[in-house]
Amino acid sequence: MDDKDRELMRRYIYEVVRRLPRDQRGDVGLELEELIGDMADTETMEQVLTKLGDPAEFAQKYRDDSRHLIGSEYYDNYLWVLKIVLACAAASILLTSVVKGFLEGNHIFGIFADTLANLLISGTGAFGCVTLVFAVMERKKIILDFKNEKEWKVDHLRQTEAPEKTWTPKVLPPVPDKKAVISRGESLVSVIFIVLFASLLIFAPQYFGAVFKEGDGIKTIPLLNLSSWNVILPLLLLGLFAGFADEMLRLVTGCYCRTVMVSNIITNALQIFLAAIALKVFPFWNPNFISDLTEHLEKAPASKGDILLYWNTDIMTNILLAVICGIALLETGVTIYKTLRYGIKR
Amino acid sequence: MGEEKDLLTGLIQELRRGTLILSVLSQMGQPKYGYALVQSLEKQGIAIDPNTLYPLLRRLEKQGLLRSEWEMGESKPRKYYQRTPHGDRIYGELKKQWREMASGMERLLEEG
Repeated sequence: MDDKDRELMRRYIYEVVRRLPRDQRGDVGLELEELIGDMADTETMEQVLTKLGDPAEFAQKYRDDSRHLIGSEYYDNYLWVLKIVLACAAASILLTSVVKGFLEGNHIFGIFADTLANLLISGTGAFGCVTLVFAVMERKKIILDFKNEKEWKVDHLRQTEAPEKTWTPKVLPPVPDKKAVISRGESLVSVIFIVLFASLLIFAPQYFGAVFKEGDGIKTIPLLNLSSWNVILPLLLLGLFAGFADEMLRLVTGCYCRTVMVSNIITNALQIFLAAIALKVFPFWNPNFISDLTEHLEKAPASKGDILLYWNTDIMTNILLAVICGIALLETGVTIYKTLRYGIKR
Repeated sequence: MGEEKDLLTGLIQELRRGTLILSVLSQMGQPKYGYALVQSLEKQGIAIDPNTLYPLLRRLEKQGLLRSEWEMGESKPRKYYQRTPHGDRIYGELKKQWREMASGMERLLEEG
C-alpha cells in the first residue's frame, strides 16, 4: 500500500466513522483498517473501496436505524446539548426566582410556587427548542449531502446511471485539517451564553436597570421599555434562537466547511437585522428612565459631573448597534477565513 | 427483461438474508477474523459483502452470541470473533429449526 492508497483509506474510514456514535468510532475504525488492508492485498485500493461502496450506506448498516425523530448519528450531540441547555435554564431560573422573591420580600411559599412554575415553563421550552433544531437537521441531513455538490457536466447526460446514485472513491473529501475542526468547547460557551441571556430577557428584564432597596422590598427602574416588551422580546428571542440553530449546525458538522460558512453569514445578517429593528424601530429604552431616576434620587440632573447628564438614548442605541454589528462581523470574518483557508469543500 | 432480472436479484437477496446469521454462526466455533470469514464462506459458495458482514458481527456480539478479542501480536492488529456459550445454544436451536424447515421445504418443492 503506498501513501496515496493509505490516504484514500484514511478518508474512507473517516467518512464512515464520523457518522457513528462517538464510543464506536475507534473500534470500527481499527476494524475497517484491518478489512481494507486485507482486501487490498489482492485488489487495488480503488477496487476495494468501490466494492465496499458509499461510506454513508456502510455507516447506515452499522447503525440500527429505524423510525426515529433523532437518529443515532446526532443522538449523542443532541443529548449533550440538551443536558447543558436544561442545566443552564434551571440554574438561571433558580437564581432569578430566588433572588427576585427575596428582594421583593415575597412569602416563601410564593417563591417556591413561582420557581416551580418558571422551571416547568423554561424546561419545556428549552427541550422543545433543542429537539426542534435537531429534528430539522435529522430530516435535512444537512452535512451529509456532499455528493450533490459535484459540479454538473454535460457528461452526466451521457451516463446511463443517475450521477447522484453512483458512488466512487474519487468523491472522498480529505479528512479536515486540525485547524478546521470546531471544538465542542466553543459550542459549550455559546450555548451557555445564549440560554442565560434568553432566561434573563424572559424572566427578569426589569433588572436591566437601576435597583434600589426601599423599605422591606425593592424598587427597580428598568432601562428597557417594558411596556413594549411583548413585541421586543420575541424579536430578541428569534435572534438568539437563530444563533442557537447556527451553533448546533457547527456542532454536528464538526469542521469549517461551506455549509457552516453560509449558515453563519445568514444567521449574523439576520441578527443584525433584528437588532436594528428592535433598537431603531421600537421604543427600546424606557422613556421615563431619567425622570424616574432623578425623582428617586431626589436631585436635579444638572449637578456637576453627573453621569446622568450625558444620558442620551440615541447615542446608546448607536453604540449598542455598533457593538452588535462588530461582534457579528468579526465572527463571520473568522468563519469565512477559516473556511477558505483550512475548510474542505463538502 | 431487465425488470425480471431485478426482481429475481431482489428475491434471491431476500432468501439469502434469512440464512446469513446461521451461516455466520456456523463458522464461529473457532476464533476467526472478519475477512477470513468472508473468504471461507465464499469458498463454500455463500457470498457475503464485507459491508454487510462487519456490522452483522458487531450486532451479534451486542446480542451476546459472539465475543471478540483484538489480537495485537501479528503484523497488524486483528479482531477475532468467536461464539459464546450462549451463542452455541442459540446456534444449536437455529440449526434444528433450519433442518426441519429444509426438509419441509424439500417436500413442498417435490410436490410443485
